[in-house]
Amino acid sequence: MSVRYRVRWSKEGRTRFVSARDQSSIWERAIRRADLPIAYSEGFTPHARVSFPDALPVGVASTGEYAELTFAAPIRADDDLARLSATLPEGMDILTYTEVPAGAPKLASLLRATLWELVWPPVDTTALTTLLGRRCATMLAATSHEVVRHRHDGDRTLDVRPAVVSLAVATGPTPDGAGARTTLRAVLRNDAPTIRPADLLVALCDGEVASPALVRRVAQGVPTADGLVEALGGELEMVRTDVVVEAA
Amino acid sequence: MLGAVTDVRSDALLPARAQRSVHRGGLGAPTPPSVLDVLEPLLPEVRKPAQYVGGEHNMVTRDWAAADVRWLLCYPDTYEVGQPNQGIQILYEILNGRATTLAERSYAPWLDLEERMRERGIPTFSLEHHLPLWAFDVFAVTLPHELGHTNLLNLLDLGGVPHRSALRDEADPIVLVGGHAAFNPEPLAPFIDAAVMGDGEEVVLEIDDVVRAAKRDGLTRAELLRALADVEGVYVPALYEPRYTDDGRLSRTVPVATGLPTLVPKRTVQDLEEWPYPQRQIVPMTETVHERFSVEIFRGCTRGCRFCQAGMITRPVRERRPETVQRLVEQGVADTGFEEVGLLSLSSADHSAIGPIARALGDTYEGTVTSLSLPSTRVDAFNVTLSNELTRNGRRSGLTFAPEAGSERMRAVINKMVSEEDLLRTAQVAYSQGWRHIKLYFMVGLPTETDEDVAAIAELGIAVYRIARTHGKANKVTLSVGGFVPKPHTPFQWAAQDTPEELQRKLALIRQLIRTHDGIKLRTNDPEEGVIEGLLARGDRRVAAAVERAWQLGARFDGWHEVPTLDLWRRAMDETGVELAWYSQRERDEDEVLPWDHLDSGLEKGWLWEDWQDARTAVQLDDCRWSPCYDCGVCPGLDLVHDTGYQPGALLPVMPSAPAGLGGPAAGSLPTSAERYAAGSTRGVTR
Ligand code: B12
Ligand code: SF4
Repeated sequence: MSVRYRVRWSKEGRTRFVSARDQSSIWERAIRRADLPIAYSEGFTPHARVSFPDALPVGVASTGEYAELTFAAPIRADDDLARLSATLPEGMDILTYTEVPAGAPKLASLLRATLWELVWPPVDTTALTTLLGRRCATMLAATSHEVVRHRHDGDRTLDVRPAVVSLAVATGPTPDGAGARTTLRAVLRNDAPTIRPADLLVALCDGEVASPALVRRVAQGVPTADGLVEALGGELEMVRTDVVVEAA
Repeated sequence: MLGAVTDVRSDALLPARAQRSVHRGGLGAPTPPSVLDVLEPLLPEVRKPAQYVGGEHNMVTRDWAAADVRWLLCYPDTYEVGQPNQGIQILYEILNGRATTLAERSYAPWLDLEERMRERGIPTFSLEHHLPLWAFDVFAVTLPHELGHTNLLNLLDLGGVPHRSALRDEADPIVLVGGHAAFNPEPLAPFIDAAVMGDGEEVVLEIDDVVRAAKRDGLTRAELLRALADVEGVYVPALYEPRYTDDGRLSRTVPVATGLPTLVPKRTVQDLEEWPYPQRQIVPMTETVHERFSVEIFRGCTRGCRFCQAGMITRPVRERRPETVQRLVEQGVADTGFEEVGLLSLSSADHSAIGPIARALGDTYEGTVTSLSLPSTRVDAFNVTLSNELTRNGRRSGLTFAPEAGSERMRAVINKMVSEEDLLRTAQVAYSQGWRHIKLYFMVGLPTETDEDVAAIAELGIAVYRIARTHGKANKVTLSVGGFVPKPHTPFQWAAQDTPEELQRKLALIRQLIRTHDGIKLRTNDPEEGVIEGLLARGDRRVAAAVERAWQLGARFDGWHEVPTLDLWRRAMDETGVELAWYSQRERDEDEVLPWDHLDSGLEKGWLWEDWQDARTAVQLDDCRWSPCYDCGVCPGLDLVHDTGYQPGALLPVMPSAPAGLGGPAAGSLPTSAERYAAGSTRGVTR
């Protein structure tokens, strides 16, 4: 009797440089260390039945990663998943889990939008917050906003606007409290064509603003007017953390 | 551009030398600056960034201030290649096992990151806390082969440490090398402070003690080096001087201080059972070339293949007990979660209890996803049986055998005791038991080789392919052919190395002969690749000038196809007057003093010379594990009985001296050494 669990997990600190490819073996080995009765695929090179809905760009932090695990036997989820979380590399932690009833909708279908957070180094903060704020307001007021995505296989024109649900720019303190830095939060739809934070930045301020110091996928779920409802836990994640610029 | 951090160069990471010493203090010394904050923004721009972040399961993190001796252990190649090395992991675990010693690890950054590090003043760093090389007390580098030499210079320079030892002072780490290529450290002599030959388990602790005492007593660098030279097995090149004759040959390498040995011995751990490491093996977070939980089942090799440096310098054989292997594997798999187990050694099928070991592990993991692998290239039916045992769960895709030479005569010259009949019989057994692909390893450029010997490689390949085809139309054969590079401390140390052109011609000959057989694949290394390796393997101290120049011209990663460095080396040799032909393509005579004659691998030069003479007349020697001792010189100095099974005397029956594979009985019934042993006793084997 197999049982399925869905987990929301984080990929922070050093582990954000782990590629999607390497991520699977990290999980498989952690599951073996935690001695959990994971189910395996058939065939000569059996793989643990752990699946991840989509890949996160290398270098991006996240508290909004998800995975689906299929076990060959029942587990004691509280203890067992805590043990798994503890043996995952530092920075990867299981945040919440749910057991998946038979016939439940696919995980991917619950992850309709993503809340992203982009944080700049504590440089030019006031000017940066003002500029980004203005641009965000302009974008939200428009019905379409095209950008060109450069790829090795050729350029492609994308309309960014349909994916944008909400945007918010704020100035917040640095972690050490010594300065201030600009933060941009955005809820973007996951439906194709997928728009990544990099595309959004090109659309907002191509060439005018340096790359953020940190990009984070905060959570995924169902978009609302002012944020999203997180897919597994159901809590409301607000796009705004401050009232500088806001619209929907 | 808004939000841009403009001052990219951070001088804090490479402070003036006067400001460094404070971090080198004893307990309580302030932690040097971490490079992580400056490094992180660069990582999304470089290839495989996870190799630079550390954070792996079983990484050891100890506070800087909680240690009084601090080591940076290094494999001078990329993480993906170097991380699996067991030597570094053993030393890491042993050193970190001490109360006030700290050991962190580092690897060579790939070119893309190096460029950015140099732009921003980021020094060579450790993975644990991203601390700079210049702050450590000891920079301990493993040299499993010669192609990491330029990387070593580069890592020092990048790490803010003068690459020449004469320019280093008390503010700099001690630069220590070990591993197989440390058996001839002369081409690195001006750059290293000390070299260790042989096993590292005990000697690193002794070095740790000497460094601790030196720090406590405030010794100068020169005094510390002198104290290190008193540790058995430690060679300090600055305390020895090569003398040359008028015609440019070496006349002797002599100590220039009193009380130093004229012959520096290698270190040998007598009983591997006392050193069951590494147990808590690092589980990489990014792909490496060799991902598995490895257990070294024995050290050394007595087959006596005359080309093989590893086999010669790691003698004698010391085995791990089957129950220890079983325990280490079970604990290790549970601790790491690795899905593959590797039974590591130079010739793993030769463990005297390999049958019972394989069976016990096969039983333990039957029906699980844990797979077992045995890096063995021994050519006999027993090896096939063993491989069957280890693949109970999985697919029988490919087997590898290493006859190394094509003709019987050539195999007698190199002392690889495999008959053609035996090889074909082994192929027959393998294909009939469901194996679909056989890979055969060969070398060209061996001493006394003729075109007939070369052609015999192709003929053998074709003969094996015919057998392959009778068992399945899709069955395949791969011939993997490399160019031979003569190495120090082997009977072939006197031999001439073929030029790349000559190797190219020989490879073309093979290619021509197999061209009509589509199912035979030929894999060759670029013959040019052996040029640098050959020069460095047998070079003397004068070659150091070329190493330095090649590095300055940009040479690094000399073993990588992606980084062609041979032209830089040729220019460096021209500019420094190092003549390749003289070092590599010349046969040496009996009287010639060799650059490593003052370094004792345990093998007597006279014995090696006799073996070289035997080679030239194609006389073979048996494996000394099973046959009477040849007095090669290794054992008498040690507390080892001459036979080398894991429990000397008590369990080992006296073996008849006919080694497996010289004609004789039919396959299957062929009594291999391990089977003979296993039949005699299964005592002490967990079943
Ligand atoms: C696993 C393995 C690999 C793996 C992992 C990388 C690695 N090198 O470990 C992979 C597959 C990547 C690999 C690749 C290659 N390998 Co390899 N590899 C091995 C193998 C099987 C085990 C290495 C190991 O972990 N040994 C066990 C440990 C315990 O031994 P050790 O590393 O020598 O360390 C001990 C001592 O030497 C000493 N020590 C070592 N370093 C230091 C440093 C200091 C400061 C001190 C004090 C002591 C010390 O202390 C340790 C404990 O006693 C060895 C064979 C063998 N059994 O050694 C071949 C071996 C090292 N490889 C070899 C070769 C040729 C290669 C390649 C060049 C092959 C090729 N043509 O591509 C590449 C080179 C890769 C590279 N760029 O570095 C040769 C070296 C030949 C030589 N010296 O003449 C060996 C000896 C195999 C052989 N029989 O020919 N290899
Ligand atoms: S079997 Fe031969 S080639 Fe292999 S390690 Fe032993 S001596 Fe070297």
